This record gives sequence, structure tokens and C-alpha cells, in this order.
Amino acid sequence: MTATILPVDFDRDTGPHFQSARAGKLLYRRCKSCDRGVHVPTQFCGGCGSSDTEWRESTGRGTLYSWTTVMHQVNPAYPVPYTIVVVALDESPDVRLIGSMAGEVSLKAGQPMKAWFDDTSHSTGLPQWRPV
Amino acid sequence: MSVAQEMFRDRTSIVGIGRTEFSKDSGRSELTLACEASRAAIADAGLSVSDIDGVVRCDMDHVTPSAIVGALGISNLSYVAELGIGGSAPCGMVGLAAMAIISGQASAVLVYRALNGRSESRFGAAIVPRSVAGGQGSYDEFFTPYGLLTAPQSFALLAQRHAIEFGTSAEQLGAIALTCRANANRTPHAQMHDKPLTLDEYLGSRMISTPLRLFDCCLETDGACAVIVTSTERASVLPNRPVLIRAVAQGAPAGISGGMMFPSITYRDPMRLAPANVAKTLWSRSGMGPADIDVAQIYDCFTISTLLQLEDYGFCDKGEGGPFAASGSIGPTGDIPINTDGGNMSGGYIHGLNHIVEGVRQMRGSADVQIDGAETCLVTSGPIGISSAMVLRRAA
Repeated sequence: MTATILPVDFDRDTGPHFQSARAGKLLYRRCKSCDRGVHVPTQFCGGCGSSDTEWRESTGRGTLYSWTTVMHQVNPAYPVPYTIVVVALDESPDVRLIGSMAGEVSLKAGQPMKAWFDDTSHSTGLPQWRPV
Repeated sequence: MSVAQEMFRDRTSIVGIGRTEFSKDSGRSELTLACEASRAAIADAGLSVSDIDGVVRCDMDHVTPSAIVGALGISNLSYVAELGIGGSAPCGMVGLAAMAIISGQASAVLVYRALNGRSESRFGAAIVPRSVAGGQGSYDEFFTPYGLLTAPQSFALLAQRHAIEFGTSAEQLGAIALTCRANANRTPHAQMHDKPLTLDEYLGSRMISTPLRLFDCCLETDGACAVIVTSTERASVLPNRPVLIRAVAQGAPAGISGGMMFPSITYRDPMRLAPANVAKTLWSRSGMGPADIDVAQIYDCFTISTLLQLEDYGFCDKGEGGPFAASGSIGPTGDIPINTDGGNMSGGYIHGLNHIVEGVRQMRGSADVQIDGAETCLVTSGPIGISSAMVLRRAA
């Protein structure tokens, strides 16, 4: 079994997202000036030009924005079929995060999704998502 | 006219085109392919190597300017430039060549793209297997650890979103694949020249990443293309009918970030990527609109890429790309014939420089699927990140 790919967690702009996932927390970046979500996370807000952005903890609730079920295998660490989901955060729908689920999953656009963390998240630093 | 329009419009021309054969295994190096296509383009222009004093490279080309300048024996180099990202660059690359000529930095510029895209570096393969991903501005950490590894998967998320918002169907995406294939069937150099494709075969092709099937994906190709740009004044004494560069534009989508293709689904409106903004600038600079365009070479890494751009460039309304494609409007006798040599889907994937070569052939009247009376051609490059496009025009 090939190991899955781990996220770099020491990037100065993005690292806290993955470090916090190890502790079961979902952090996202938000602009204190214009209140837009800033994803991918950067210090400067491209929406208003402010540098006054901060990490905020999400409740881990969102809605399903898009998805794809991967059928063509390219990496043995990711056996097909598996389904990649794109979730818009409830607190800040302009922040869209990725998750993955094993197999083909019956999904519907806009359905509620919930972030979850388990032992895998604690070792990989990856928040995951599943239908509520 | 704005200063930019007055200084640029029709002042430069593409006077030479060249390409190698398109294959699954070229049997030779990418540098050799680049040299063959470049020599063919220089000869086609009625020029010699000693006339070439500028070179433009695509950022993803393994062939560096120093390698090709050395191998071709270019001895009067005075201008070199490069542009990315990958397939989004070619029209912008020609723009860099044109601006160098207009500003006197060079007099004849070679623009090239060479890749052993099937036998050596396959885009369809996952990004090199590795244990850790991300950092250094790649933003891969948000995507690849989840198994989002390839271009088809990334574009599948866009296609699914288009289906969610607008009800786009497999048959509608398939209309783009079938149009490209039918044109390739009439184009001897196209890789799929001998392989017809029916809608049933398209629908029956294996799923790669839902909703995209095998035949929603472009080819992976070994080959090279090259074009020569010079002033329109000089072009008038060269052998080919000059093909005028009417306008070139680049642009970025709202909410763009770093990274390559994967972040597209996180931009403000993934159904309006860079081409939506490139189009505004291009129509303004060219003084034209979609109704003025006779034929279009629209970048087609996937069917959904082309569908989105049909909307972005105004050939139909946003969301109407599916019904528009399925209506026959994009075929050789339709309102806006596209990808007349088969494009990336069925002709050969030379990362978008192939679309420029075909655009020139249409404006010369020498294409295999020649559109009668075509005098204007839109050429677009890839929709990822910062994109580019141009309008070519047949010289009077």
C-alpha cells in the first residue's frame, strides 16, 4: 500500500489550516476589513486590499458545491472509485474546501455537509467532509 | 481609437507556420522537434535563420531559449521572452513577439512549443508520486492530498458545476468532441484522421472522472509547432499572404489565486474563469465582437473548456453553451465553426500553439476544412489561471 500524499503544514500562509486539523479544528482565513473569506489563505485580501486578515474557527458546516467520482486510477495510494467533494462553508460561502470519500456516493448539489476529524486527520492534518 | 489600439492593431503579422507530425512516440528529442517545426516555419516565411532575432518560449517547454538558439544557429538574437502558464500562454506569447516588433526590440520573432506529451511527459498521469505536497506558492496542499491529482479530475469539478447550474448534459458535451473529431477526419495531419466517432461511442467510452469520459479529454501528443511574427510592412514583401494580428489580450478571473488548475473551483465564479475577462479586452482592442468572427480555434483540453469559452466569448449566453454546441452551430457550416483541424481533442495536443497554426491556415485559405470566405479568426488559449486570446485577420 502506497502512502497517501501529506499536505505541507509549515507554509507561513497556509500551515495553520493543517496544524489545527490535527487538533480537530477547522480554521479558515477571513478579512476583518471587508468580511470576505480569503481562500486560498493569504495575508492580503484581494477583495479589498486590506492586510488585516485572520484565522477563524469554522463550525464545520457547509453545503455541497461540486463533486467528481474518480474512475481512472492514477496513483495506487488512491484506489478508485473515490469521490472528491467541494464544500462551501456556511459561515463564508466564498470559502470552498475539498474533501474525499471512498467509493461512488449519491450526492445532491446544495446538500448539507459536515466536517469531521478522526485519527487519520490527526496524522495527516486533513479535515474531511461527509453528508449530514 | 485608444493608444493601445492604434499602436498594435494589424501592425504585425504571422508570416510563417511550421509543425512536425503529431504522434504517440516521435522517436526523437523535444529539442529536435522544436528545431524541425521552427525550421519549417522560417522556410515557410521565406526567411532564413539569420533573419530571426527574437525567440519566445512557453514556461512549460523543456526546450529553453538557449537550447533552441544554439541548435538553430541563431546568431543575431536581440530579444527573448517567455510566458505561462502552459496552454494558457500561446496567444500571449504571440503578443510578446508582436510587441517586441512594434517597439523595435526585434524584427522577426520565433514562437515555438515542443513536447513529447505521450512518450515522455504525460499530463494525464498523476503529478509525480510523492509523499508530501504543497508550499512554495503551489497551494497543492489543499488539493492533492485528497486525491485531486490530474487535469481531468480538476475539469470534472467544473463540468459538474456547469451541470448543476445549467443542466448541461453528456450529449451536449459530446457534441464538442464529435465536432472536433469530424474535422480531424478531414485533416490528414490530425492524429484521429482515420478514426470516426459516433455519439454512441462517445457515450459508451469509459468514465475518467464523472461527468467526464475518455472522449471528453484531449489527446496526449508528441510533436511541435512554430510560428514567425514580423511587421505587417515587411510581411507584404514575403511569399505568403500575411495574416494580420488584429488584437491580443490577456486577463485574469475575479478571485484568482496562486496555484495552477486545482484552485479554479475556489475562484469567485468558476463558471466565469479568465476567458470571461480576456473576451472583454479582446473585443475592445480588436473593435470587433463575436458576430464579426468567421471561424474560431477554441482551446479544448476538455470538452467543458470549450463549452465555457463559447459562452465567455459571447457566441451564446452564459449557461447556454450546451444547447448551443448541440445545435450544430459549431460545425463547419454552422454560425461559428470551431477547431477546424480537430483541435487538442482530435488533431494533436501542442498546448495551444496548434490552434494558432490552424488559425493562420484558415486566414490563408489553406486549411483542410476550409471555411468559405473566412476573413477573421478568433484563437483562444487555455482557460486556466491567466489566459490569453487573439483575433487574426486575412490581409486585404
